[in-house]
Amino acid sequence: MSNMMDRLKSIATYAFILLFSGFFFIPLFWMVVISIKNPIDQFTLGFVPWLQFEPTLRNWEVEGFGQAAENLKALMNSTIIGLGSATIATVLGALAGYALARFEFKRMKNVDILSYFLSLRFLPPIALAIPFYVFMQSIPVGTSGLIDTQLAVILIHGSAFLPYAVLVIRDAFKSVPVAMEESAFVDGASVLRVLTRIALPVVAPAVAAVFILTFSFSWNEFLFAFVLTSKNAFTLPIRIAESVTAIGVFFYALSIRQLIAVIPPIILGILVQKYIVSGLTMGAVKA
Amino acid sequence: MAKLTIYHLFILIAVVYVLVISIFPMIYMVYGSFTNWRLGLAGMDWVGVKHYTDLAEDYRFYNSMTVTGFLTALAVPIEMVLGLALAQLMRVKIRFRRIFRTIFLMPLFCAPVAVALMGEIIFYESGGPVNSVLNLLGLGNFPWRSSPVIAPFTVVLCDVWMWTPFCFLITLAALEGIPRELHEASVVDGASSFQIFRSVDLPMIASPLATILMFRIIDTIKIFDIPFVLVGGGGPGIATESITIYIYKIAFRNFTLGQAAAISLVFLAIIAIISSVFMRRLRRYYV
Repeated sequence: MSNMMDRLKSIATYAFILLFSGFFFIPLFWMVVISIKNPIDQFTLGFVPWLQFEPTLRNWEVEGFGQAAENLKALMNSTIIGLGSATIATVLGALAGYALARFEFKRMKNVDILSYFLSLRFLPPIALAIPFYVFMQSIPVGTSGLIDTQLAVILIHGSAFLPYAVLVIRDAFKSVPVAMEESAFVDGASVLRVLTRIALPVVAPAVAAVFILTFSFSWNEFLFAFVLTSKNAFTLPIRIAESVTAIGVFFYALSIRQLIAVIPPIILGILVQKYIVSGLTMGAVKA
Repeated sequence: MAKLTIYHLFILIAVVYVLVISIFPMIYMVYGSFTNWRLGLAGMDWVGVKHYTDLAEDYRFYNSMTVTGFLTALAVPIEMVLGLALAQLMRVKIRFRRIFRTIFLMPLFCAPVAVALMGEIIFYESGGPVNSVLNLLGLGNFPWRSSPVIAPFTVVLCDVWMWTPFCFLITLAALEGIPRELHEASVVDGASSFQIFRSVDLPMIASPLATILMFRIIDTIKIFDIPFVLVGGGGPGIATESITIYIYKIAFRNFTLGQAAAISLVFLAIIAIISSVFMRRLRRYYV
C-alpha cells in the first residue's frame, strides 16, 4: 500500500519537474526552431526538423553574416563594455573586499562600509541614469561629451556592479585562513605583495566567478545602455529591442539576434554555477 | 587621528569611484528637481517645489504606482512559491538532477530584453505558437498583448519565467544546508513529510527566504525592460507603464528633466523606506 503511495508520489514529482522544465526550456527551444525555419513556416507549430519542416541555415547567413555590420557592432560593443566594466568592478572590488576582510576600520566600522555598498544595490537605475546622462554630456569632448561612447557605459556599469564584487570577494577572503598571509608579513612582505602573491591566488576561483557574473550583468543590462547610446556604442539588448519595431513579424531575425544575446551568458552562467547563490545574494545566503 | 594605512586606500578607491560616478550626479539632480531643467537646453530657472506639488494631481504617476504595485504583488509571490516547490522537489534524489538544475538555471542568464522579445514571439496574437495551440483546442485567439486587462498578466508571466529560477536556486541551496540529522531524527519520531517541512525545513530557511523576498520586491519595483519591450513602452496605452518607464518617458521623450528628477527622488524615497527595513536584517550577515 505504502509502496503504491510512494510510486504515485514519485510519478507526481517527476511530472511536476518535467512540466516546469518544459515551461523554462520550450521558449528557448522555440527560438532555435524558428531561427532555422523558412520564413514561410514561421507560423506553423512543427518543431521536428526534416520531419515537420525543412530546416535552413539561410536565416543565419542573412542575419548573422549578411546584415552583419550592425549585429557585429552590437556584439563588439557588448563584449568591450562587458570586459571593461567587469574589470573595473573586479579590480576595485578585490582591493576593497580584501581590506574589509582583513582590516578593522575604526572610525567607520566595517559593517557600515559594507552597508554603504549594499545600499547602492537598491538604488533605482533610472534615478542614476538621468543625472549620469547630463554628467556625461557635460564632459568637454566632441559635440555631446561622452554620450554614445563605450566609456560612458563602462563607467556606469562598473559602478552599478561594484557592490556585488566587493561583497562577494570579501566573503571569499573571509572564508580562507590567514596563517599564510601572516607568516609572509612576518617575513617583511608588503600588503600589496601579500595580496597579489598569496591571498589572491587562494580566492582566484571566486574572483573569476565575480568577473564572469559582472560581465553577464553588463552584457544583459538595458536601461543605462539604452539611455546613454545611440548610433555608435549600442549593445546587443538595444539591438534586439530596436528590431521589434524595425522588422515586425520577421521572427527568424528576432530569434537569431536574441540567441546571439542569450547564448554567451547562459554558457558563462553554467560555468560559475557554484558561485551563483552567494553571487546573486551578495553573500547573504551561503551555498 | 587614526593612522592611515594602505587598507584605507583600497577602500577609498572603490568608495570614491562610486561617489563620483553615481552619488554626486544624484545630488546635482536634487538641485535640478527644483528648476525647469530641460534636456539639451542651457539655463535652469528656479521653480521651487512645483514639480513635487504637481505630482499630487498627476494621474499617470498614480497609474504607474498602481501598475508597479500590481506587478510586484502578483509576480513576487508566484516566483517565491514556485521556487520553493521546485526546490523542495529537487532536493530528494531524482534522476537527471543536474540536467534539470541546468535547465532551471538558464532563464536567469537571459537578458530581460531577450525574454521580452521571446514573449513577443511566443504570445504573438495571430499565429504565434501559444495562440495556435489554443486555436487547435478551439479556444480562439487570446489578446495577450493587445488587451489592457491581460497585458499586465503577460508581463507577470515573463517575469515569472525569468526570476523563478533565482528563487529556486537560492531556496535549494538553503534547503541543502539543513543538517541531515535533523531530518532523520524527525523521521524516527514518526513525523509526516509535511510536518517535517513545516516544523523543520521552513524555520531553517526562513532567513534566506526573507532575503530572496527582499531582493525580488526591490527589483520588481524597478521593473523596466520587460514591459518596455514586450508591450511597446508600457502599453497598451499605459496599462503596463511602471514607475521607471514613466520617469524614462518624462526625461527622454518630454525632455523635462526637472520633473523627471522630482519623480525619481520620490521613487528613491519609496525604495529607501522599503530597503531600510531589509537593510537592518541584512547587516547581520556582515558583522
